[in-house]
Amino acid sequence: MYKIKLDQFEGPLDLLLFFIKRDELNIYDIPISKITKEFLEYVNLIKMLDLEVAGDFILMASTLMHIKVRMLLPPDVDEKGEEIDPRGELVQALLEYKRYKEMSEELAFFETSQRKLNFRSNYSEDPAEAPPEYEVLLKNVSIFDLAKAFKKALEGVKQPVVHEVIKISISIDEQIEYILKLLDENKRIHFLTLVHPMRERIRIVITFIALLELVKMQRIGIQESDNFNDFVLIKLNDGQNI
Amino acid sequence: MDKTYNSVINALIFASDEPLPAADIVKAIKGIDGEYIQIHVEDVNQCVEEINNFYDENQVLFKIIKVANGFLYATRPEVAKYVGFLSSEKSKRRLSQAALETLAIIAYKQPLTKPELETIRGVNSDYILNSLLEKQLITITGRAETIGRPLLYNTTDEFLKYFGLNKISDLPKPREIDEIMQDEDFIEQKKRIMMNLIEEKIEDEMNSGGDDGSTAE
Repeated sequence: MYKIKLDQFEGPLDLLLFFIKRDELNIYDIPISKITKEFLEYVNLIKMLDLEVAGDFILMASTLMHIKVRMLLPPDVDEKGEEIDPRGELVQALLEYKRYKEMSEELAFFETSQRKLNFRSNYSEDPAEAPPEYEVLLKNVSIFDLAKAFKKALEGVKQPVVHEVIKISISIDEQIEYILKLLDENKRIHFLTLVHPMRERIRIVITFIALLELVKMQRIGIQESDNFNDFVLIKLNDGQNI
Repeated sequence: MDKTYNSVINALIFASDEPLPAADIVKAIKGIDGEYIQIHVEDVNQCVEEINNFYDENQVLFKIIKVANGFLYATRPEVAKYVGFLSSEKSKRRLSQAALETLAIIAYKQPLTKPELETIRGVNSDYILNSLLEKQLITITGRAETIGRPLLYNTTDEFLKYFGLNKISDLPKPREIDEIMQDEDFIEQKKRIMMNLIEEKIEDEMNSGGDDGSTAE
């Protein structure tokens, strides 16, 4: 029942209207930064395909970025002393375009009903083959269909998911020795410094268990650190502070 | 008006390839039978109505329609499938969205220049304008008095004929911006759905008719 059609954008305004409609945005309060980002993604795609139309889209992209910058600056004020919304012109252009886009749908209706009537001169005037120049007028696949399809295709190529199991050979005894060795070299070690070079979660866990073991054995002591999220390991000699 | 002219009017319309204005019919009859003949444009309209009524009653599958301010014979929608089977590829294809959009803007804003058109559409429109010119849906009517004296474009009678309009003011009015805002996209949404349905139906018809252009040499 559900039919998916590739959307076809006639230009940058059309594309913007699509975003606004899809995300149910308020046309008078367009989230410029969000829409600019999406727009740029699309433009990059078009650029990648090296389309001639890219120029119009790039122009719009720079307009969007210009608006975005102006939104960050203190607003300009018109002669009445009211703040000028930097998006104003764009909104007007979008609405104007939308008006005519609606009318083109009206025309399509007329076309549909009129096409069912055939006039007398229909046969003789029709060339056997439509000249190729007409192609642009005819309801064909547009370059944006192609662009979208291409994008879909690229997205469709999923990297095969490979789960790799690496055996991390590590034991509590090893880590106990490691900690003690480090403490021989430096009198105090911050815990975070100790685990910092460790990449695997399991290694950190084992190290932590090892140091708990050492505390229990009273081989090392733990001190509060200046940094509240950290603590300091110190070496003990038979439970005594050196 | 003498009723004997009914068949003359019918014959004139029948013989015409292009929409034939009522005024031309009057001119033709007066030109042959003399200026004193009592016949007016209203008489022609009346006569066409009678002819169409006759076709309706007898279920004839063609009739006279009024497009581009003139009269023209056309077959009825019921037989569109069969008639379409023999006509060439060109008349089967629909206009693209870009073409419709451009035509809509020109139709409402005419005369207008290319820069004006491109400002509204936001895209370069050289190619589409040339194609529409070639298809005679638009024409150049002069130059604007502004800098660079750009060409002015208008829609043509062919445009009216293509969309089945009698005059340009038959087009529905574009909605005002406030209206569009209040609409919450509801109507537009509905239209789109309808359009798609219609398109699909047509495509289905084409396919089930077994003719997709391959036989339309």
